[in-house]
Amino acid sequence: MAVSAYIDAFSVYLRTGNVSGMNDFCVNAEHLKRMSVYRNGFYKGCVDALAANFPMCEKFVGSEDFKNIAHIYVDHFPPKKGTLVGYGQNFPDFLDDFIVGLEKQPEAIRLSPSLAGLAHLDYAWLMSLMSADTTQALTAEKVTWLMNEGCDFTQAVVKLNASVALLQVSTGALTQWIALKTDSREVEQHERNVSELNQNDTPLPSDLVMFWRVHGSVQVRSLSVPESAVMHALQEEGGVLEEAFDAALALDPDFDVSEFFSACIQNEILEIDMAKYEHNK
Amino acid sequence: MEQVHLKVNESPLSSQSLIAEAHLGAGLGLKTEHLDDILALPVTGEACAGSHLWFEVHTENYFVAGGPRLNYLRSIRENYDLSFHGVGGSLGYDHQSMPEHLKQVKALIDEFQPALVSEHAVWSRSGGAYFADLMPLPRTHDALQSLIEGIDRYQSGIGRRILIENPSNYLDFTSEMDEPQFLIDAAYRSGCGLLIDINNLYISSKNTGIDAIKYLSQIPADLVGEIHIAGHDPDPELGQALLIDSHASEVDLPVWALLEHALSLFGHKPVLVERDANIPPFAELMCERQTAQSYLEQLRSNAA
Repeated sequence: MAVSAYIDAFSVYLRTGNVSGMNDFCVNAEHLKRMSVYRNGFYKGCVDALAANFPMCEKFVGSEDFKNIAHIYVDHFPPKKGTLVGYGQNFPDFLDDFIVGLEKQPEAIRLSPSLAGLAHLDYAWLMSLMSADTTQALTAEKVTWLMNEGCDFTQAVVKLNASVALLQVSTGALTQWIALKTDSREVEQHERNVSELNQNDTPLPSDLVMFWRVHGSVQVRSLSVPESAVMHALQEEGGVLEEAFDAALALDPDFDVSEFFSACIQNEILEIDMAKYEHNK
Repeated sequence: MEQVHLKVNESPLSSQSLIAEAHLGAGLGLKTEHLDDILALPVTGEACAGSHLWFEVHTENYFVAGGPRLNYLRSIRENYDLSFHGVGGSLGYDHQSMPEHLKQVKALIDEFQPALVSEHAVWSRSGGAYFADLMPLPRTHDALQSLIEGIDRYQSGIGRRILIENPSNYLDFTSEMDEPQFLIDAAYRSGCGLLIDINNLYISSKNTGIDAIKYLSQIPADLVGEIHIAGHDPDPELGQALLIDSHASEVDLPVWALLEHALSLFGHKPVLVERDANIPPFAELMCERQTAQSYLEQLRSNAA
């Protein structure tokens, strides 16, 4: 017997629930219904992982509704990697489409449009938590060292550390997410605001939100427009500090560069490759 | 199927695993909620739980680039031996994505130097999907060949020998050999060892009618590198007619009895108490672990 034929039939059962293909491989036909142990295990593992990775979403819609939605997601996006750590990369976008799809069905339940935003925030938090540790944080000591060496640190190329996650969410979504995390009543207020905006067909205003990890703990805040400009300028390969701050000042001449830079240093958000400065010494 | 590098007749025991077996006693599955309790355990002096205590983790739960999860594990590793128990390797089938998987396993092994590394004699991947559970293989020659290829790739990828665990069986599939023969052949032909899960064996005996005592008598003691015990539960619909490997309750008395019998056959082996759901306070798990440890100590005193 070819193992591939057995596994193909088993896989069809796991994905569809159609057990007929397993008839040829099961010794006792009366035991075929026991195959459900494996299918239940597959879905339970995936749904539990989604609940763990999207805790505020689960809290918002409730455990039973979340399980139903997560089950549909597993059908559309089964795990690809041999781990459930980080499973659900497509879940926020899936929710966006899912909610729109429900609105087109008169009899279907209604889900708040806030749900997708909460999912984006949950996942950004998770990614920040699991990101690589920084070994090149730009600290006050390093700035002092550069200045003592006669380097103009404003010309230094710095980048955001791996834990920094930037994302655009509808205004108020972060407040709602934090309220869920802290069991505050602000959740209800945000829901009312979103509901009113939706009724008026008004596009939801959005905020740029930043997650980062410092001393093992994930932090979050929304960014002002000039702060966003700095962060965008330093994303990925990084950029020259002065150019990043010039971009912010172009948007707001009153932007307090010194205060924001100090906050970045204290929170170890920036990274610098000191090797080239030490090499040039 | 690709060429498999057979290791027929090669000694199945590396010096590394012999050392591990000699000094590991009873261990526990590591749960993050117990971290503070573990770190508070005395590591020296008379109150020390002893150098025999060790912890097992599911390897794939540590597939992260950094952050507190790895730091927790580092703090445990400072005082205890670890065992890495893989659940997502899909040794039995579809090895295409194994290299990427093994890169992460190897990175963890290189950093943490676990005393034991194990996986399952099952499949969990097909057609690019990962089914996130441990699916049984048919015990056929073709499936055996596929399993051996998977073990070979795994061991080559991480650069060390592994142990493979017997599955929980809920129903019988068409087979060309019994499970002990299947596992023993896989072990001798790939050079791996065996992790005998006594709870899986007990469940299989109840669900499919195999003789657990005869099963154990067929396993060569020198192939066994670790033993697992855990709790099980009756199926919500079928009751005692179908036992589920839940890891959600304390170890049942018949499983303890089967463990005692297995140790009498195999001699001293590291024993792990698994618990993955309905996690009780740490002290409660330590009591179960102490029972397992006392079995091992009794074995030693009998031998002396």
